[in-house]
Amino acid sequence: MAQAVHPAPMRGGADGTAGPNASSQPLIEIRGVSAGYENKRQKTRLIALRDVTLDVYPGEFLAIVGPSGCGKTTLVNMIAGFMKPLEGTITIDGRPVEGPGADRAMVFQDYAVLPWRTVYNNVKFALENRRPRPPKAELHRRIVEALALVGLTGFERSYPYELSGGMRQRVGIARALVSEPAILLMDEPFGAVDAMTREAMQAEFEKIIAQTGQTVFFITHSIDEALTLGDRVIVVSSRPGRVKEIVDVDLPRSRFDEGVRRSARFGELRDHIWGLLQAEALGARAGGEDA
Amino acid sequence: MSSVTAGPATTGSAGDGVVESITRSRWAPFRSLIITIVNLTVFFVIWQCIALAEVVNPLFFPKATDMFSAIYHGFADGVIGPQLWHSIQNFLIGLLIAGAIGIPLGLLMGAVRIVDLILSPYVWAMTSLPRVALIPLLILILGFGNTMQLTIIVLSAVFPMMVNCMEGVKTVDPSLIRAGRVFGAREPQLYFKVILPFTLPFVISGINQGIARGLVGMLIGELLGGGGKGMGFLLDRAGDQFDAPMMYATLLLLAVMSVGLVQGMRWIERRAAPWRDFSRA
Repeated sequence: MAQAVHPAPMRGGADGTAGPNASSQPLIEIRGVSAGYENKRQKTRLIALRDVTLDVYPGEFLAIVGPSGCGKTTLVNMIAGFMKPLEGTITIDGRPVEGPGADRAMVFQDYAVLPWRTVYNNVKFALENRRPRPPKAELHRRIVEALALVGLTGFERSYPYELSGGMRQRVGIARALVSEPAILLMDEPFGAVDAMTREAMQAEFEKIIAQTGQTVFFITHSIDEALTLGDRVIVVSSRPGRVKEIVDVDLPRSRFDEGVRRSARFGELRDHIWGLLQAEALGARAGGEDA
Repeated sequence: MSSVTAGPATTGSAGDGVVESITRSRWAPFRSLIITIVNLTVFFVIWQCIALAEVVNPLFFPKATDMFSAIYHGFADGVIGPQLWHSIQNFLIGLLIAGAIGIPLGLLMGAVRIVDLILSPYVWAMTSLPRVALIPLLILILGFGNTMQLTIIVLSAVFPMMVNCMEGVKTVDPSLIRAGRVFGAREPQLYFKVILPFTLPFVISGINQGIARGLVGMLIGELLGGGGKGMGFLLDRAGDQFDAPMMYATLLLLAVMSVGLVQGMRWIERRAAPWRDFSRA
């Protein structure tokens, strides 16, 4: 098992979550969850996910891969509290998810930074809406820290339109980190940035998470990305999405160290997951399912 | 506004910084102004030459100098001044009323579906209907007075404002809404911190369209309403008297007024929504 690589979880985690020894009690429990979207015009319901059961342990980096349209995003949206499952339950620390909460933050594929706010104020957004609003000095300190963590020091007063895509996503990541949530939800966060920037950001993000020890629920369509970042990789089948296999990534960290990603084991794991997904892609085509 | 600098990225030390200062010619800021002045001068000179050659009947193509003298004497004799002031005053009051009604109602239509369902048939009917068609009815109801002129301005300007505000709220990027919610914004915060700022450029373009339509409303009200006041009246009277220089003078003043309003709004837009700059060169 490649867990317990991470140091202690975030300070101030909900009611003092367990210490570094993390693999006992799941933080997120997904039990028999199905989800779908109603098509009012055709009076049908598209089932995106069927009977998904999954445990996410504190401090774990969980990567979810699957073909496009397999309901990965639906799953992360339900954990975030944007939508409710048709069947089944999702609990966090034993409490069912009723809506968005301070214990979770999200990084979006399309960045979703507020274009009318400067970098600094975009990050501040994540702190200013919470009810016991931190004192001003504390607020400032945390924003500065979060910006330093993602390498945006010096760009506090820039507007998003003045930044490249990769830098905009850094703003998105800083915004998610600044409130120090127990859980980071990431919906293909590096999907829209170019390959070189993506590589650099993955490496930085691995370091950041090693520092903060947050639980990460990371959606991706890239097998390499999943294997590079994940402690476990959840392979999801094509629509309706089910958990097809859970792959333990028994590779040492940092995965960006010389040779890890060129190792035979990395290749084996990639071939294995590739095989699973390829069968899915072919199956989906044969089944003739489409949106 | 031609260069984009990436904030206070680098401090001090020249050389390998991310942000470098740009040196531009001392004349660069004045270049467009100089071009405009030369351009307009050439335009009026050509006009003057054509008029002097009397290629076109001088009855409807006066000399440019005659037009400028008509403007000068018009103001000096108090012929133009009061009419211009009347029009501007009417127009601004009408625009203000239209904004006070149209913007909140449009935002409400965008946010609350039932309000949209109830109001939209009327809004779309009024948006599509040419405003001139309302003149006879309005004269019947309100007579030839100022009220009628004001009403037609309001009716012209209010609907484009409503439609734009509504579209703005409806097109708010759903992932910004999700970001707002995930970072703890509740309903009122979501409106004030996400939806309204997103809508602001739409509101401004609604006002812009309102200005354009409102000017048309103002003119048809003054031309056809027979109130005996305003720039439209001046235009009408100059036409009746075959006073070509005065007609051209009125048209020029109207053009200056419209350009002034549109440019003013663009200036406001740049100040109010600087983040939209990326779409401009």
